[in-house]
Amino acid sequence: MSTKTISANVMMQSVQRATATLQAVPVETDPNLGPRIITTDVRQWMARLRLLETVPFAYLVPDALLLPTESIRFFYIDRAWTDALVQGALSVGTVSSADRAQLEQLYPQLRDELDEEERLVRQPLLEAVQQGPAGPITGFVMRSRAISGWPGVHVRAYKSDSAADNAVLPESDPNRLKLLRLERLAPAVLLALFDGVPAVVHVEEPRQGIQFGVRLTESTPNNFSASVFARDRNTSTDVPGFPTMPVSFRAGAPGVIDFRRTAETFRTTPSTNMGPTMESAEYALQMLRFPYRQVFGDPNAAPPPMNTVFRPTISMAVLKADMSAVLR
Amino acid sequence: MPTLGHFVLHSSAVPPLTAGDYVLEGDQQVAGGATAPYEGHLRITSPRYRLPADQLLSTFPPANSEGAFEAKLPQVVLRRRTLPWERAVDPFDRGVPWLALVLIAEGEGQLSAEVPVAQCVTPGVVLTGGNDVATGVYLGVSQTVVDKVFPTKADLALLAHVREVDIDDTELAMGDDDGFMAVIMANRLPQFDRANCAPVRYLACLINLEGQLDVLPPPSQPFTSVFQGNLIVQDLRASQVTFGQQADIQAMGTGLVQANAPLVTQVTRRTDARTAAPVAAAPSALTAPTQSARPASGASSAKASQWTYTAQQVESAVAAAPTDAARVARDVMSRDWRVGIDFAVLEKTFRFPVLAYWSFACTGAGSFETLLQGLDVGLLGTLPADPAAAARPECQPVNAGSAPPPPPPSRPDPEGTETGHIGLDYLSRRGESLRAWYRGPCTPQPIERDEPGTTPTLAHTSDQLRRVVPDGREDLSLASAFEIGRLLALSQPSIVSGLMRWRQEAFGAARAAELAALALKDVTTAPPAAGIADLGHLLGRELVLKAAADPTRVLASSRPLADAGRPLKYVTGDLDEVIAMGFGFDAAVVRKRADTVGVLAALGEQAVPLAKGGGFDKAAQTSLKATLNDTVATITADTLKTTPRPVSIAAPIRGRRAAPKAGKDDTIERDALDDLLDARTTRTERP
Repeated sequence: MSTKTISANVMMQSVQRATATLQAVPVETDPNLGPRIITTDVRQWMARLRLLETVPFAYLVPDALLLPTESIRFFYIDRAWTDALVQGALSVGTVSSADRAQLEQLYPQLRDELDEEERLVRQPLLEAVQQGPAGPITGFVMRSRAISGWPGVHVRAYKSDSAADNAVLPESDPNRLKLLRLERLAPAVLLALFDGVPAVVHVEEPRQGIQFGVRLTESTPNNFSASVFARDRNTSTDVPGFPTMPVSFRAGAPGVIDFRRTAETFRTTPSTNMGPTMESAEYALQMLRFPYRQVFGDPNAAPPPMNTVFRPTISMAVLKADMSAVLR
Repeated sequence: MPTLGHFVLHSSAVPPLTAGDYVLEGDQQVAGGATAPYEGHLRITSPRYRLPADQLLSTFPPANSEGAFEAKLPQVVLRRRTLPWERAVDPFDRGVPWLALVLIAEGEGQLSAEVPVAQCVTPGVVLTGGNDVATGVYLGVSQTVVDKVFPTKADLALLAHVREVDIDDTELAMGDDDGFMAVIMANRLPQFDRANCAPVRYLACLINLEGQLDVLPPPSQPFTSVFQGNLIVQDLRASQVTFGQQADIQAMGTGLVQANAPLVTQVTRRTDARTAAPVAAAPSALTAPTQSARPASGASSAKASQWTYTAQQVESAVAAAPTDAARVARDVMSRDWRVGIDFAVLEKTFRFPVLAYWSFACTGAGSFETLLQGLDVGLLGTLPADPAAAARPECQPVNAGSAPPPPPPSRPDPEGTETGHIGLDYLSRRGESLRAWYRGPCTPQPIERDEPGTTPTLAHTSDQLRRVVPDGREDLSLASAFEIGRLLALSQPSIVSGLMRWRQEAFGAARAAELAALALKDVTTAPPAAGIADLGHLLGRELVLKAAADPTRVLASSRPLADAGRPLKYVTGDLDEVIAMGFGFDAAVVRKRADTVGVLAALGEQAVPLAKGGGFDKAAQTSLKATLNDTVATITADTLKTTPRPVSIAAPIRGRRAAPKAGKDDTIERDALDDLLDARTTRTERP
């Protein structure tokens, strides 16, 4: 009977062989995704990290001038950056060189699992679970009083503008892009991430039942005028071309509408098809205000020139000249 | 019935009869003459001073809400469709509703505490007919506010309409029972306070116009298409502050109240124990907790600190008395309209019964539409186009002189490259102040995830991700991402432990398996037999089998069954000679006789030599016998594996033997050994 000592050499060999032949052994089975090689709590946390949760805002927008007040900034997500984020988090779990060698073996599959997990972070009720390999992520960050004053705005992104203006497609619609994250980072700052590159983005006023109101415009500082879109009383729909009708106010009283005078304006606008008298139902029809929906992107028009949406201080040509001078 | 998601608008729902008492008279002419005349009494009721709670379906803006409501008309939805037309406010036009929703900003009016309904209308006005409640709340406003804010008579009919919805449409029906509901709009858009850049609280009151229709402003008012947003209709709060200090106003206020002396005495009844702090603290003369007819002193004693209201006060009040939560909330909503208007203005004031009220705050300027259309749209990395064309401020400051506002502190534009990188100050590890490039996760250009054609690589430290750009600066984008990810993971102990556990289970198990395979490479083991549950059982079984197969090696050498005897050194020569010599006879004689008569007969013929008499005396003989007996007893005791002492051990032996002896003494013949044993046992009984 020969005895065998487990020497450091044997130890080393075993680590090498284990690393070389390491098979990703599923540790859990996700109800949606199937077997996974990393535990659910870690996987979900890392997927949320991928969507930039808890990442300090200064790392997203490094200079305040990049996001001035009353602005919206669209962007692509740099996946190399979010991968580095996850690698940093994974480095916490490795202690020895052997761990690192093995983690390298598992990393490609781990990355794919996190790609799929990203779509499970935000699961709205009654929406189908979406799966598939990871694509590009885009999004926008918006800083406006519209975010602080209207909590709960609706944001939708579409691949094309085929849907009607007032339609709402479910997230599983092939024309719609899944919203991966929608969060107010500050009272007036909204961050949205989309699963893909949208052609059209809708930002809609939160719905709060049926409302009456006007379209208020500030002509000169502190001087306001108001108007409403004309509606045809026979069809209850907007008059084509969206003609507007001015709203009259009582002199000396800010915001107090002169209903009688305004009604007379409505009545005398021909496209509304009002009769000789004006009734309150007809008046209410003109004053009905549906949630306003701002549409970003017009697929029918040519894409705007790059310099209208992106104005860097150092252009690529300058950068190239600078660096080639150094290299030479 | 409208379909789901649709609704139908009707102008009015006028009931044939208004609220009031009616007499139903009837007579009938039949063949036998007229019957006795019938007289029935009929009362049609309708709310007058207070809206029943179930009649209020919804309000917009929601009660106690905050938001930028500048472009929205407040509205209230009532359950019964005929409610706005159930009282005839204009005897010639039933289409004029008797209800109106008026919007009163802070300081423009006064919302009273509960008073008898007779005092809820302007003094001099008398409403006949039955009342629904005994006490009500009224809105006190000055002539100025009525003229500027209240709807005209011509407006009234346009402000109320009926909405018909599908009763199954939960969003639109809001719990209505018949699908028809009355809607009353306000005529005023709430405005943000642009003069002070402050939110404005508004009180929306559903008021009763009965008997006071002529108070409303005349229909032909001067109008404008552009209004100034920073105008103020009227603000009584300033006069309220000086109310208790200026003698003449105080005097006039006192005089006014004394003229209305019954009012005060009625009000003191209200300030009972049930009144919560917000009401009691309101410095209105009407709620001043004084029994005397000197309300002015009560009002002046109200401290400004009691005015200040905090959310905690309400929360604690509601928590202390949950059943009073609705009342406390109503008190809170009306707290900004407690200024006693009768003392504060010198013009005519009016009172309107308030059926329902709520308050909200307009906290922002502009509308959603204007804000979104004014957005600066661009890709991240774009700098503001022109600092001068910055977004408009929420409100214009008060114009003080002709000096332009000070320019914002200037700062050099950040270095932003077309690739999306930003130049940032960077303090290196050596302490040098450098510039480095940084690009966050949000980039203006699409970025390739990996180098094309490569597998994803894994960095283990952030230094692996530092890049040096040809211009000599470092690109720290990915390195800082790595560090942030590491720090975020470290900040979550559950994630750290989760990662460590996963590492042990996934990596450690693989390593252990390989190590075992290498270490046991040369060891061949028999396949485990069926029924072996685990390694412990397998090892135990193998050990036993191996030990049994080769016990000498596994355990030790065995002991021989018997030990060899010692050699007898005094025995020399022929054995027969030695024996014969020992017994004292001649071996040769015996051999000779044995040839003829046999060995036994020859031995029998030999005379045995005896010891000479006198060799033993009597004492020696006794001593020898005793010694012999003792030796025999010792040997017997050894044979029985017992010791002569003590007795307690010998007792079971006797007992064991006693049982068979009792039955077998008669059948088995006793021999010498039995005697010996008996002697032994009896002896041991004697100590």
